[in-house]
Amino acid sequence: MRLFQRTIRDLHQMLVDREISSVELTESVLEQIGHVGDQTKAYLLVTRELALKQARAADERLRSQRDVRPLTGIPIALKDVLCVKDVTSTAGSKILKGFTPPYSATVVDRLEAEGAVFLGKTNCDEFAMGSSNENSGYYPVHNPWALDRVPGGSSGGSAAAVASGEAIAALGSDTGGSIRQPAALTGIVGFKPTYGRVSRYGLIAFASSLDQIGPMTRDVADSAVLLQAIAGHDRRDSTSSPKPVPDYLAGLDQGVKGMRLGVPKEYFVAGMEPAVEQSIRDAIRLLEQQGASIEEVSLPHSDVALPAYYIIAPAEASSNLARYDGVRYGYQAEGGRNLIEQYMLTRQAGFGAEVKRRIMLGTYALSSGYYDAYYLQAQKVRTLIIDDFKRAFEKVDALLGATSPTVAFPLGAKTQDPVAMYLNDIITIPANLGNVCGISLPCGLADGLPIGLQVIAPGFREDTALRVAYAFETATEFHKARSPLMGAAA
Amino acid sequence: MSEPESELSSREVEHVARLARLGISPDEVLRYRDQLRNILHHIEALNRADTSKVPATAHPLDERNVMREDRRESCLEAEEALRNAPSREGSYFKVKAIQE
Repeated sequence: MRLFQRTIRDLHQMLVDREISSVELTESVLEQIGHVGDQTKAYLLVTRELALKQARAADERLRSQRDVRPLTGIPIALKDVLCVKDVTSTAGSKILKGFTPPYSATVVDRLEAEGAVFLGKTNCDEFAMGSSNENSGYYPVHNPWALDRVPGGSSGGSAAAVASGEAIAALGSDTGGSIRQPAALTGIVGFKPTYGRVSRYGLIAFASSLDQIGPMTRDVADSAVLLQAIAGHDRRDSTSSPKPVPDYLAGLDQGVKGMRLGVPKEYFVAGMEPAVEQSIRDAIRLLEQQGASIEEVSLPHSDVALPAYYIIAPAEASSNLARYDGVRYGYQAEGGRNLIEQYMLTRQAGFGAEVKRRIMLGTYALSSGYYDAYYLQAQKVRTLIIDDFKRAFEKVDALLGATSPTVAFPLGAKTQDPVAMYLNDIITIPANLGNVCGISLPCGLADGLPIGLQVIAPGFREDTALRVAYAFETATEFHKARSPLMGAAA
Repeated sequence: MSEPESELSSREVEHVARLARLGISPDEVLRYRDQLRNILHHIEALNRADTSKVPATAHPLDERNVMREDRRESCLEAEEALRNAPSREGSYFKVKAIQE
């Protein structure tokens, strides 16, 4: 097996045993980016010099056996919504072209303290708004399993990088499914922690009551390792939780024997592809054979989660994106007779179509006369969704369902129909609104395209989600399947 | 609670764009009007849920009023804060006049 094909945990052992150096490992991944980067378009920026410098520092740390951490020397990709000091960070938007943040996100600081190696900034839908990566302000990402298909979104570049061997692991962000859905569509593991588990400081904001950063990895154990490194309270984010962070690896292999797992009947949505449904039902049966008791549960307000999300998220976005005015940073349009006109020209040229659509939708929902009917009603529906989860988790330890109702679809298939695009997130959105955590992991292939199983656990029970996911993974071989792009280079 | 109007007009689209400080071309007005109408049509489903006795959730966490010690700390230097400015004068961001 080539180095770029391996997992964090494998590579950590090899680094500690001095079997390989971080520079060798980093060069292997950079070489793979050179081979397939033009095909996937996973990166907006490859930070080659920075990566090699960090790799040399990691090797020094490994050599002297000084503060060696699980991520020391491991090459990781960062979604472009994460600020890295002095490294161009654009959130996939032309309005932030050339922006170099004066500070780093807390998750970036934490990975740096671990001695991780930063490969670069991954492509994404502009301001993380999208489910296919086709809303990138620069260029779309191609799925490493089939280059004419989307990788999902909005963390599609991070997903494609991990699935093609262009990174060992990556960070993404998830507001309505943006880690889990691309993970499902590219055959990797994507974990959205509970809101508040990971600091959002330095994450370029989309919807501040929903956004959460999380790991995208080749397997569940790697997901636990990466989450461990980034989770925990941060005084710079007052919405980050002071709850203690458990040892996520310690309880990983306890199995599901005696656990109660619920299957929300509403999650087998209309329009779900038969192959996806079959895979999910097989996965549920397998967990039952592993000793879990399975019961059907109901989350009765699931059908109004999507409409509530498409009020709440755009409303918050319209407020968050007001800061892009071309004055303090980013793109500034020429012309305009006064400041207001310059704002309008800057934002007209700087934002892409989907971002404008959501700014207008959010502004409309918050505007005088419509606030009660849309925004307030959506916030009340959010309460109903939170209560649905609370009731379900009185009976079961975790919930099982598909991550996406379909496998990866062809590029261009849904770009003309915003509503069809929004429906991709129909079974990932409730976890964001309900403030619970959810992990997607590979559970099969349909005509060579990956299918994702979603495990949802109560708020701050990331340990439970990981335990169920790990039990499934160790009983199956699905996570060992590699995309043609990753395999072909072997 | 008043029922939202079912059909969004071009004038409303222009008004919303103005509120959001978004320049918008005549073509875009029509395109966004039709797309937003369609999206709002799907969002009407929100009214299926009975929320007459349900409080709104504005924020998902239990923590309230997070305070830190009132202590002086260092912050971003002016030069650092200004270095991405498209247009500056001395240690200020430079903008156009608000009125012509």
